[in-house]
Amino acid sequence: MPAILEARDLTKQFDLGATQVEALRGVSLEVQAGEFLALMGPSGSGKSTLLQLLAGLDRPTSGSVVFEGRDISRLSDDEATKLRRERTGFVFQAFNLIPLLSVIENIGLPFTIAGLDAGRGELRERIRDVISLVELTGKERHRPDQLSQGEQQRVAVARALVTKPSVLFADEPTGNLDYTTGGEILEALWLTAEASAQTIVLVTHDARAAAYADRVLVIGDGRITDEITLGRRQDHSAAPLIARLAQIGL
Amino acid sequence: MGLSRLSARTLTARPLRSLLTILGVALGVGVLSASLTLGAGLEAAINRTVRDLVGNADLRVSAFLERGLSDATVEAIRTMDGVSVAAPIVERRTFLSGVSGTNPGTVTVVGIDPTTYPTVHPLELVGGALLLRADERSAVITEALATAEGYALGSELTVLGAGAPTHLRVVGIVAGSGPIAEAGGRTVFVPIDVARTIFRLTGVTRVDVVLADRTPSQAAADRLAEVITTEPYVLATPADLAAGLRASTADFQATTAWLAAIVLFVGAFLIINTISMTVSERAREVGLLRAAGATRGQIIRFVLVGAAILGVLGSLFGLLVGAGLGALMANSIRALTGFAAQVDPLSAGSLALAFLVGLGVTTAGAMEPAIRASRISPVEALRARFDVPAARRGRLIWLTAVLGFVAVLALLVWPPASGSIGADRAIVVYGVLLVATLATPLVLPPLARIIGLPISLILRLEERLARGSMARDRSRTALTLGALVIGLAMVVALGWTADAARHRATAWLADVVPGDEVLTSIRRVGRTEPAQGELAALPGVRSVSPIATFDLAYHGVRIDAAAIVGADFLSDGRLTFLDGDRATALRALDTGGAAILPEAAARRLDLAVGDSIGVALGDGATLDLRIAGIVSRSLPSGGGEAILVGWPDASGPIGVTGADVFAVRFVPGATPAERAAVETLAATYALEANPLTRIEGAVVDALGRVFGLFDAFSLIALLVAALGIVNTLGMGVLERVRELGVLRAIGMTRRQASRMVVTEAIVLGLAGSVLGILVGLGIGAILLQFSGDLGRSPVLPWGSMALAGVLGISCSIVASYYPSVVAARVSIIRSLQFS
Repeated sequence: MPAILEARDLTKQFDLGATQVEALRGVSLEVQAGEFLALMGPSGSGKSTLLQLLAGLDRPTSGSVVFEGRDISRLSDDEATKLRRERTGFVFQAFNLIPLLSVIENIGLPFTIAGLDAGRGELRERIRDVISLVELTGKERHRPDQLSQGEQQRVAVARALVTKPSVLFADEPTGNLDYTTGGEILEALWLTAEASAQTIVLVTHDARAAAYADRVLVIGDGRITDEITLGRRQDHSAAPLIARLAQIGL
Repeated sequence: MGLSRLSARTLTARPLRSLLTILGVALGVGVLSASLTLGAGLEAAINRTVRDLVGNADLRVSAFLERGLSDATVEAIRTMDGVSVAAPIVERRTFLSGVSGTNPGTVTVVGIDPTTYPTVHPLELVGGALLLRADERSAVITEALATAEGYALGSELTVLGAGAPTHLRVVGIVAGSGPIAEAGGRTVFVPIDVARTIFRLTGVTRVDVVLADRTPSQAAADRLAEVITTEPYVLATPADLAAGLRASTADFQATTAWLAAIVLFVGAFLIINTISMTVSERAREVGLLRAAGATRGQIIRFVLVGAAILGVLGSLFGLLVGAGLGALMANSIRALTGFAAQVDPLSAGSLALAFLVGLGVTTAGAMEPAIRASRISPVEALRARFDVPAARRGRLIWLTAVLGFVAVLALLVWPPASGSIGADRAIVVYGVLLVATLATPLVLPPLARIIGLPISLILRLEERLARGSMARDRSRTALTLGALVIGLAMVVALGWTADAARHRATAWLADVVPGDEVLTSIRRVGRTEPAQGELAALPGVRSVSPIATFDLAYHGVRIDAAAIVGADFLSDGRLTFLDGDRATALRALDTGGAAILPEAAARRLDLAVGDSIGVALGDGATLDLRIAGIVSRSLPSGGGEAILVGWPDASGPIGVTGADVFAVRFVPGATPAERAAVETLAATYALEANPLTRIEGAVVDALGRVFGLFDAFSLIALLVAALGIVNTLGMGVLERVRELGVLRAIGMTRRQASRMVVTEAIVLGLAGSVLGILVGLGIGAILLQFSGDLGRSPVLPWGSMALAGVLGISCSIVASYYPSVVAARVSIIRSLQFS
């Protein structure tokens, strides 16, 4: 089966005035449909940059990203915007909700941006479904500042899922959350992968979060330094992963 | 690094915002500086003009009656105790014959006594010699006239007078425009006896007196009253003349002063908003400084130093703006009053005052944010943003204080010549603006919701986000909107006042002038001269009505008067009678011994129908005129409206020698050729023909020039408001960079991001327009109430309202351009890293 997302020899350089920083140095990877992939690595390893390139948020210096068979690394701004709106979903570390919009309005935002009426028909049903999935039923009219941090992140997850994206990208989604709340978010992500075969690419430096993934790519110094296959497991114990990471010296 | 340097770096970190604030301060200071330099320039020009007018004279004794001061009176003045020199002068306007081109050839002929005049008015010659004898047929002309008409020494001039044209030889040329300001440089000096012959006069227009002790005093005035017992006269000192000139520009100066104060006030909005934004944005830094041990006093200084830098730069730039504006205002005054004020933009006192005011307003505007910053608790600032409602209350309270400060400043710089003219108006207008500003935050949310409804049908998301953004910091939005509201309100209020003034002027003329065309003469046309009869005999002419304008003395006060033919007004249906029977009153004028008063004069003199007024005739005699009627409006004359008397009284006891105006009424359907024939015939009698429509047009033009300048002030206020909008929208974008990044990441296009900002501007502009129009109507109604025009003028100023709407929206949209570009260019990746 062809990969839903593929990176081919990606490099990315940043100009910092006089010096140049090489964030990625030739990364190639494949993500299969329905796969839950984690990109792990310490701060500054290049994992977030890799996620941004995979999601079409940024362009590589060289190499290409093939999404659903189409090279997205050279898309125009409008094409990239359309792709993000229709084919991908995002969950950020900071919850990044629009403070003046209610829960239901925040979740329906991708539809509203697309000029669709999120309050009617199938779209309304879809929003209701994701609200139910992230267990926020009854809080539809709340504003972000009336929700707990975990609830805010669940709204962000719901917003990312509502368009039924081919791939859901999550960048340190539990970074701002406490242990328990973070666990709830990871459960929610895993459930969507399990129940709807949602493809997920997760960036994290937390082994406990990465342990929910089917496969873990370890990034270091702009390269993939290791690949750990965990497989789909009902048990999300981080112990095997931690043991493996210890073997490779992380 | 000291806190002061950190403060300066805070400003350079946000160059655009600092620049906008500097511009706002500059425009406010510029307008103020222009008003002040104009005031100083006018004062200097007044003094110069008075010096030119009276020369070395300490007193000017002017004839009240048309026949002038008699030789006996001149002799009495000359021989009076304490008089060193008494120079009799005849002054008349007339035409030169044989002057070609479009110039009508009008000149002011000044008859002088060659022996006394040069002592009182030293004339600087550029060629030839002064006049020598009182009867020589020679003329000295101004350089300006010589250049305009091509005269040189030895040229012959032909002056039209009461009899046959008089030929004079040019023997001398006076430098420049000469001393007679009203002559526009076209002055011909002739010996006094020659002037009397030309105009068939027995008296003189005035006597300029040099006193032995050089001090005009009440004692001198009393002595004059003792020696001049046979005819009425007007006594003036140079100070009186200066006061009269000041009064002619006082209203204009007063209006510019309060408009300048309003512009400065709008500038204060911008300053408060900018400094406040900077403080909010720097809360974390301020908290850090506090945590590191900075005292509250140091924090206040930290903020005030930043404000002072903006104030100094803005004020300096404002002085440049003021120099340009001052010149513009001086031109307007020249166009309006013919009074040449040379504005000296480098008047040190005005510059210093404007500069200090600019700095003062900036510092006052920054005081509230500075105090707020000093109260930031380190813990609170490092944790979250400010408590916005508290800031809102504080800001509005402070705004009131700044308004008070600006009002006090306005009183301090109030043109001294204006006295209390317009001060009551200004205070009420200020009050309304203050109430409107304080009410803006309350009215804004529901108004924005209503305005947003139609927009949301097309731009659902953009409208929703824009409205939310406006609600994010309501006091900031309200301040921004407040500035826009004030600017637009001034456009509407001044527009309405201008409409009313135009309407009043045109309606007045139509109501009182018994003709379609007005023929004016700069000399009296005697009743026995053939002009009137020949004009009336032309085909297409229904009537020709002679009118004479002159002065009357009543209880020692000069009043404007006009002689009319009552029957003409009766048959033509002119004049609106408020009291007295129309037919009886107008017929009474033609019989003699009666007068018709305009309402304003009746009220001022406390007279009613049936009362009598005794006007002074000279020789101690008075003429009693019975008030036969009171009309709402009378003929315009001098500075106001004329008391109407009949020709029997005017040409009899009062001594008016002829008409200076003829009102010509055409039969309905008179052809253009017939109208042209009237103008052609009029020209042969040196009558200037002005169709009523042209006079109305000239009046409307003159009003347009005054209001044009005032409109310019409103537009400056709007410009300052627009700078505030750029600032607020820009700040909104900066605050929402992260939000914009998220929206872009989940599929919002650059166009949508840009549209969101523009939509916010449109909602802001529409809300500002609606409020501005409402407040403007309120202020306009108050101004019209003061001038007594409310209800008489056009119901509503639709044109100005539409203009305010267009200006409000376009101003906002233009102001949103840059912030919208910034919003569209937000980088998703960098914004997600932004905090």
